[in-house]
Amino acid sequence: MTFISIEFLLFFAIIVCVYYVIPHRFRWILLLAASYLFYASLSIQFIPLLLASTVFTYFTGIIIEKQETKKQKKKVMLAGISVLLFFLGWFKYFNFVNDSLRAIANYLGLNYTVPYQELVLPLAISFYTFQAVSYLVDIYYGKQKAERHYGYFSIFFAFFPQLVAGPIERAKKLLPQFKVEQRVNYENVTYGMKRIAWGFFKKTLIADRLAPIVSSVFDSPNPTGSQIVLATILFSIQLFADFSACSDIAIGCARMLGIKLTENFKQPHFAVSIADFWSRWHITLSTWLRDYIFVPLCKGKKKRSEIYLAIVITFLVSGIWHGAAWTFVLWGLIHGFYRVFGDYTKNSREKMVSFIQLDRSPMLHRWVKISITFLLVCFSRVFFRSDSVTHAFENAQLFLTIHSWRPSGIMKAFEIFSLLDLVIFVFFFMVVQLFQYIERKHGSTWEWLSERRVFARLAFYIFIIVSVLVFGVSGKGFVYGGF
Amino acid sequence: MGRLFIKLTMIMTMVLLLFMPVNSFVKHSHDYNIDHAILAFKKDPYPVDIINIGASHSMYGYYFKPTGLSHLDLALPAQTIQYDYKLLKEYGKYLKPGGVVIVSISQITFASSETKHIGNYYKILDRNEIEPFRLMDYYSYLYLPGTNSGSLMSALAGKLKNFKWNSHQPWANNGKNYSERKYEKVEAQYREAVENNNIEQNVKQLKEIVDYCSEKGYQVILTMEPVHQSYQEYFNDEVMDRLVFQYLEALKLDVPFLDYMSDQRFTANKDYFIDPDHLNKKGRKVFSWIVYKDLKKLGYL
Repeated sequence: MTFISIEFLLFFAIIVCVYYVIPHRFRWILLLAASYLFYASLSIQFIPLLLASTVFTYFTGIIIEKQETKKQKKKVMLAGISVLLFFLGWFKYFNFVNDSLRAIANYLGLNYTVPYQELVLPLAISFYTFQAVSYLVDIYYGKQKAERHYGYFSIFFAFFPQLVAGPIERAKKLLPQFKVEQRVNYENVTYGMKRIAWGFFKKTLIADRLAPIVSSVFDSPNPTGSQIVLATILFSIQLFADFSACSDIAIGCARMLGIKLTENFKQPHFAVSIADFWSRWHITLSTWLRDYIFVPLCKGKKKRSEIYLAIVITFLVSGIWHGAAWTFVLWGLIHGFYRVFGDYTKNSREKMVSFIQLDRSPMLHRWVKISITFLLVCFSRVFFRSDSVTHAFENAQLFLTIHSWRPSGIMKAFEIFSLLDLVIFVFFFMVVQLFQYIERKHGSTWEWLSERRVFARLAFYIFIIVSVLVFGVSGKGFVYGGF
Repeated sequence: MGRLFIKLTMIMTMVLLLFMPVNSFVKHSHDYNIDHAILAFKKDPYPVDIINIGASHSMYGYYFKPTGLSHLDLALPAQTIQYDYKLLKEYGKYLKPGGVVIVSISQITFASSETKHIGNYYKILDRNEIEPFRLMDYYSYLYLPGTNSGSLMSALAGKLKNFKWNSHQPWANNGKNYSERKYEKVEAQYREAVENNNIEQNVKQLKEIVDYCSEKGYQVILTMEPVHQSYQEYFNDEVMDRLVFQYLEALKLDVPFLDYMSDQRFTANKDYFIDPDHLNKKGRKVFSWIVYKDLKKLGYL
């Protein structure tokens, strides 16, 4: 049962109805049962791991709180985090480290005997582990009290709308919401429905339509440079549509239950710098990395070089979090480099902008910055999307070749689409762009829509549903569901 | 909440009203009804002299009516060999004693494993034969095909046959563009089949079909339909050996194999083809006569 299925919609409709019918004191049982049922439908074999991680984090939190000295608390916290990271490391990184060590040993002519292990990555482990780590660290710093109600704590750990691909929530925000009695609220229910419908729209009409087109290029043994350029740009659109759709559905579902989740995206492809990009893309991961990796690494550091090192390490962690492959490591390093380079050259770039008088036209300046940022992000995604480091470098080379950017070549590359598919994709892509444009102008498209006449609103909702129903393509789950 | 209920009812009513013509359009499309001949046969069966199984090459390859043979075409586009077997088991009983089964071998026979058009079989096979069978898909395909994007796109593409890039037209660049794209597709499919160890299963399945035919007393023959020369440039001897013949030879089947792939009577004649690898009406008439005569020579008819 994935998000994009009739089964999920029926399942969720039943949960919502029962949720508001039963007394508040029983609702945690319903949410917990629904969460485990949902997880079991996707990955039943890892339910014990989810349960074990929950129990472990629950008791570790209480033990941290019970320690008298800061030093003792720190010891328990570090032990707890180590165990959680051990689970994550074992399932996600064992073979990556093992293969890397084997390659090094082969290169050095050494005998390396640790065999390859058939390990399946437990679903959502990266997401719930990060949530658990933040919980323990917050207890250590006194920002969060250890939750004593095991039921509420378990829902925080496995809340089904955000379990599979985030947003990565903090206990401080989520736990109190479970405890408050939520009443049926017209605004919450309708807003939730709209967000879910919009998520379906982006996922089935943009992301899953693009997925096979992008794959046809990246899986091809000899793509042309222009095809790589186009496929990388399309992949960026696909990834955003895919992941933001997942967040939309999660936020929408939670809102229908009266729970407000953190927004995960703010039109990242309109960012004016890499720093700005990371404040708009996967916001809950970015803030997590800032609070639990970057800030502790910068503690007591004043030198610029030390801060830069902390930035690079933070992005390295981000890369490794995404996947156990060197391509993700390189992707993280590229973003670390972007951030450091951006900061280091900030003054000289400003001087250059002033020298060429670009700052006299703020609009043009803004769009130049948006375009450069988008292309830098796209370049990094060549590494994100490629199957191996060798392919990544080959594709990156093609991406950077001037010849690949010839308009005639790019036009020709559009033939990776069938003409019919291209027309359909362009139409729905324009709809999404229009939606985003209204959002940039008015803050919220949904609020803007609510000020329109009832027929205009209904026409838009009908358009979304009919489009999904008729033109929607359902693929193989969410890209970030695999992390 | 009453307000919400009224709005939702209005929205759903409008959605239904708008959806109905789309659904009807798909339901009446050629691709959605591609199995209509088999379905008609299922409703009103009769004894047949010859049955052909296989994918689209076979489906567009045979028309035995002028020869006087009663014929059942069980081939469907992108049909896997597993479904060849299922259909043969279901409809083989209508073959006259000593009747002939043409097992068409194509470039994808051993590489194909995923049934892309599973809906094609919902009406012509027993539900238990369909794998994977999902109740929701089953009912939505039968009654709400407009919700199936694949069916809708096929229906649209059928109506807008010429709405293609010039370079995507079947005979652009004398068929070479089409053949190249097809080659890349087949290669990708083959790579995937090798990675997933599907080839061995498909080879085994072919053996099962031949064994099943001999067990039932059917006369079986393997064939490969003719293609245009542009197609042959990509699917040359070396490629065909890798994709098909190495596995076929290893099987050492004791049945004749009529390979018309590079038959000179067809390869240079565009008039016989819809596109570089599918025969048209004229082509299949000529080809079926040739097959008929060759079968006679072999003593099959």
